[in-house]
Amino acid sequence: MSQQKAAERQLTMSRAMVSAIAHEMREDEEVFYMGEDVADYGGIFDSTDGLLDEFGRDRIMDIPISETAYVGAAVGAAMEGMRPIAELMFVDFFGVGMDQIYNFMAKNTYMSGGNVSVPMVLTAGVGGTYNDAAQHSQTLYATFSHLPGMKVVVPSTAYDAKGLMHNAIRDDDPVVYLFHKRLMGIGWLPAPEGPKTPVPKEDYALPFGEADIKRNGEDVTIVTLGLHVHHALEAASQLSDDGTEAEVVDLRTLVPLDEETVISSVKKTGNLLVVDEDYQSYGVTSEVISRVVEHDSDIVNNVDRLAIPDVPIPFARSMENEVLPDVDDIVASVRGMNL
Amino acid sequence: MSNQETVISSESLWPEDAAEDEAVITNWFVSEGSAVDRGTTLGEMQVEKVSVDIVANTQGEVDEIMIDEGGELSRGDPLARLMIE
Repeated sequence: MSQQKAAERQLTMSRAMVSAIAHEMREDEEVFYMGEDVADYGGIFDSTDGLLDEFGRDRIMDIPISETAYVGAAVGAAMEGMRPIAELMFVDFFGVGMDQIYNFMAKNTYMSGGNVSVPMVLTAGVGGTYNDAAQHSQTLYATFSHLPGMKVVVPSTAYDAKGLMHNAIRDDDPVVYLFHKRLMGIGWLPAPEGPKTPVPKEDYALPFGEADIKRNGEDVTIVTLGLHVHHALEAASQLSDDGTEAEVVDLRTLVPLDEETVISSVKKTGNLLVVDEDYQSYGVTSEVISRVVEHDSDIVNNVDRLAIPDVPIPFARSMENEVLPDVDDIVASVRGMNL
Repeated sequence: MSNQETVISSESLWPEDAAEDEAVITNWFVSEGSAVDRGTTLGEMQVEKVSVDIVANTQGEVDEIMIDEGGELSRGDPLARLMIE
């Protein structure tokens, strides 16, 4: 557990991210931030709140609505030695700048035979649960993880968000940093219990490819990320009431993926549930299960997965709630296992 | 030696251009018993979708958080009491 003692100052995930960005901007003049409504508004999910006041318009830039132009500009600046952070307001908008992302950001290092690096961070708000329909509610975790060349980060707490942001900005390769809107701690999108944590004032980098065991248990391994870490912890607490102890593994990064932590947990519990807020087919759930089974199919007795059942995310609250995995779904899945 | 107390009022934090007289507490970053410095951000409230920091007006200890997270308040309501040693 990466938690500090309770008496310390707590921060929301958005403030933790901002404190890491501000620190890196003070340390390195080459770091700057571009995006829609990131300057005067401070990011519609508070991802840059307060940065304009300290760093000014040369380094905190509101840009015209053209993802192709500003993601492309970030790739170019990164190749010239700067450390840009470009924000997609909603990850759903990645398609507008997709060529820049998957053909240039992800591949320029490879295409140049390793002669140039692309040390940029692409940030984006992800996730549903607030009735914003099919074009503003996706996570698209698998889309970015599927394409070779990008590291993919998905924090679930303020502590992790800060440490992973420090590491993302310092990384010499392109990093996609996906923050769940429901975890940011903003008034109109209340967060569940959990993402607001104590956060040290000083800087610290959390390395990529290290999953975090958010809860220890002997009976079943629940592998998940982002918002669903908190749903899994709530489900684990309910399951504990009838004597089932779930271990909750927070992946924290999808690329690189910490197979070792997942596999050693499944070796201990013998049972695996993977929970994801992305579409089910060709996604995180199938990837995690495949890695475990490829390692040793004999270590798993029960296996199950929860994800969005390959439909666009509905607008209507009742229908959105139906397709998104929630606490009850996790509890029911584990209870359905022959433990 | 006697302790002095001070109350942080929402009135002093209210945005000048806000037409609305109601707000909601979105976050507390400290808990009762936390030691704070003058200027420490204790929490935040939201008025008309604008987030406003609740800032300590003195050094001291948080004696009482008077409105919980998610709680609504009217302009002028007290938010927290600090004890000055």
